[in-house]
Amino acid sequence: MLVPLDMLQAGEWAEVEEVTGQPGWVGRLAELGIRQGCRVQVLQPGATCLLNVAGCKLCLRGGECSQILVRPVTL
Amino acid sequence: MAMLTTTLTVALVGNPNTGKSTLFNALSGLRQRVGNYPGVTVEMKKGQFTSDGLTFELVDLPGTYSLAARSPDEMVAVDLLLGRRPEEPRPDVIVSIVDATNLDRHLYLTSQLLDLGVPVVVAVNMIDAAAAQGLTINYEKLSGALGVPVVPIQANNGTGLPQLIRTIRQTAENGKIPQPLEFPVAFNEIIAHITKELSDQVPPVLVRRLLLDVGGYVEHEFVAEHGKRLQQLLTKAREQLAAANCPVPAIEARTRFAWVRNAVAAAVTKPAQRPITWTDRLDAVLTHRLWGTVAFLAVMFVMFQSIFLWAQPLMDQIDAAREWLAQGVEDAMPPGPLRALLVDGVIGGIGSVLVFLPQILILFAFIAILEDCGYMARAAFLMDRIMSRCGLSGKSFIPLLSSVACAIPGIMATRVIENRRDRLATILVAPLMSCSARLPVYVLLIGAFIAKPGSPAWLPGLVLFAMYLIGFTVAPLVALALKRTLLRGAPPVFVMELPSYRRPKLTAILRRMFEAGKAFVIRAGTIILAAMIIVWALLYFPYTDANGESYPERIAQAEEAASANADRLKELHAIEQPTPEQQAELAQLEETASLADKLNGAWKRQSLLGRLGLWMEPVFEPLGWDWKIGVAAMASFPAREVIVGTFGLLYDVGDVDPGLVLDGSDEEGQAKVVSLTRAVQDEWAKDPIRGRYGVPVALSIMVFFALCCQCGATLAVIQRETRSWLWPAFTFVYMTTLAYLGAMLTFQIGRLMVG
Repeated sequence: MLVPLDMLQAGEWAEVEEVTGQPGWVGRLAELGIRQGCRVQVLQPGATCLLNVAGCKLCLRGGECSQILVRPVTL
Repeated sequence: MAMLTTTLTVALVGNPNTGKSTLFNALSGLRQRVGNYPGVTVEMKKGQFTSDGLTFELVDLPGTYSLAARSPDEMVAVDLLLGRRPEEPRPDVIVSIVDATNLDRHLYLTSQLLDLGVPVVVAVNMIDAAAAQGLTINYEKLSGALGVPVVPIQANNGTGLPQLIRTIRQTAENGKIPQPLEFPVAFNEIIAHITKELSDQVPPVLVRRLLLDVGGYVEHEFVAEHGKRLQQLLTKAREQLAAANCPVPAIEARTRFAWVRNAVAAAVTKPAQRPITWTDRLDAVLTHRLWGTVAFLAVMFVMFQSIFLWAQPLMDQIDAAREWLAQGVEDAMPPGPLRALLVDGVIGGIGSVLVFLPQILILFAFIAILEDCGYMARAAFLMDRIMSRCGLSGKSFIPLLSSVACAIPGIMATRVIENRRDRLATILVAPLMSCSARLPVYVLLIGAFIAKPGSPAWLPGLVLFAMYLIGFTVAPLVALALKRTLLRGAPPVFVMELPSYRRPKLTAILRRMFEAGKAFVIRAGTIILAAMIIVWALLYFPYTDANGESYPERIAQAEEAASANADRLKELHAIEQPTPEQQAELAQLEETASLADKLNGAWKRQSLLGRLGLWMEPVFEPLGWDWKIGVAAMASFPAREVIVGTFGLLYDVGDVDPGLVLDGSDEEGQAKVVSLTRAVQDEWAKDPIRGRYGVPVALSIMVFFALCCQCGATLAVIQRETRSWLWPAFTFVYMTTLAYLGAMLTFQIGRLMVG
């Protein structure tokens, strides 16, 4: 089941399936570790959300988050 | 083979928050300078050190996540690394600095650096933090996997630096060019095709960037140079790649991260479970919706209090020094234009520049501490939700809030905002925030027209609050308007890393304060000084009256006469029930005492600026102003607090120090402020418009001052930060227009309500 990243609850893990949008920022997100096949954890959901990406905390604005599709996983 | 000269140019490249600047400072010490580049706003620091008779020239490039340049600012770094900037030599060695706790991400940039055809050394920083997280790294294996030398370091205490220097030297000596990463065959074929089409000497790495960075800067530059044909070629090439399962730009991330993953898997052993760090514990509170906001407000409160309270004594001392110096020059020189230029123009001008310095230094100390310890990113995260409503990001919050103390440090603090459009919008609205220099104006006018006997006690406070509220509401609205019009563009992705908390380093903080102070004094100072001298000259010339008598000389005589009679005047004042003769003498002496002020007023009225004011009176009329208010407002364009002194001159009570309006401890000064208040009230009472509509006129002046950009220093700093005269001119025009319209609206509505 694919869901937008902003549908996840605090503490939930997911695997990134698809990042869509302007190529420039798809590239930037990939550089920061948000790309297909990567695991992310939502630390704080919301318009501006807080993510744990490979042990690193990233803050991301909600509107763009919706263009990131993820597959929730249970650890 | 690189020929080894006696100097070795070394470029430091790394992601933000890798400790790159710490390494730069540790290596180069105090021998640093800042390199500027035409047309871009980035500054690159350069440093120098010698080791074993060899001089190392260090270049500290701005922190970046990749070489995919999206703007001229980002392109500078790529050009510099390729030796495409004529003023800089191509680096002999690139030091790629990476964070030991997050090699997976940081080595991505390293893999791009391998494409450049320059020897690379990888410096793995923060090995202490990695050890604390239970990571073990085999540096030999890592070096083998990456194909370049790897040196573990701890930049903040100097561990590993001698080894790093030795490795840089050896790498330069053997000149081994690293092997670029292998991309899929389909990709390489298309690259070869494009290279043939371009037909001139383009470095292979730029061809790669041209193809990979869709809409990037390299594409813009090359399409502009080679025309539409190249654009079609690129589009076709990208379509072909997508069909061959190598979609651009995903192919780059896929290829590079696969390579990084292999290298890390070979060299790094991770603990089964990531231990909970101090950073996690602190973040549980500091990024919490409620507690985090409470903590943020507390930090902001302390910062503000310090800017207001700690800076004040220093600012007073600077003021006192300026007065002492002016007095010294006045005593040492005969009166005349030259003395007046030195005292009122130069010394006054320099004083008005230096007086901002304490606030700048204190704010930058706070910013340096908050940034170095990692809190700034948390603050930006917390404030992002509010700031995104006006089209900005959380990073704009602290610059805007700082502008309530003073727009100058606020504008300088916008350097933390990477997005160019966001940064410009923040710079352009920062002067709308009600700065501390507006306070004397508000207090004076509120004291004269709002806080009258019989009016409610809460009214003055409410009006003052309303004046601050104007800034707080208009600034976001203008920012939103700018982001929707002039600075329109796709909403930037707001992604920001929250780095681990670290202990800030005192030397780094002092360095930031010094750099901010120096930049302000040298660059902004010269422009402010020029503006101050111009307004001074407009108020000074011509200095003779219709009969050809010199005003300054007559004022000096009148002052002498007044001081000769000062004792007698005091005596007469002391008599409780004076005789008629004594009363007559008192009246005469008081007249003599005020003659100097009256002459000064007459002089300013017939000065160039005074005449301009009279001529422009119709312009001021819709605001409810007479020419005196107009002249005072115009004279305050270099620095708004000047209005208090100019009012004093125009209403014949002599120069009034704006600081005295707020300072109740100086009795003599208070008397002067009271007499200015009374003079303004009396004069307005005589006038049909201002007599009847005193309150609307006072409010219209206050609204004008709230919205107008009457600060030469701010405009100078905007010029400095944007490297363009367009933006300070734009700020000046839009704020003055806004101020005029706002003041007009205030007066006209006020008039309707009163009438």
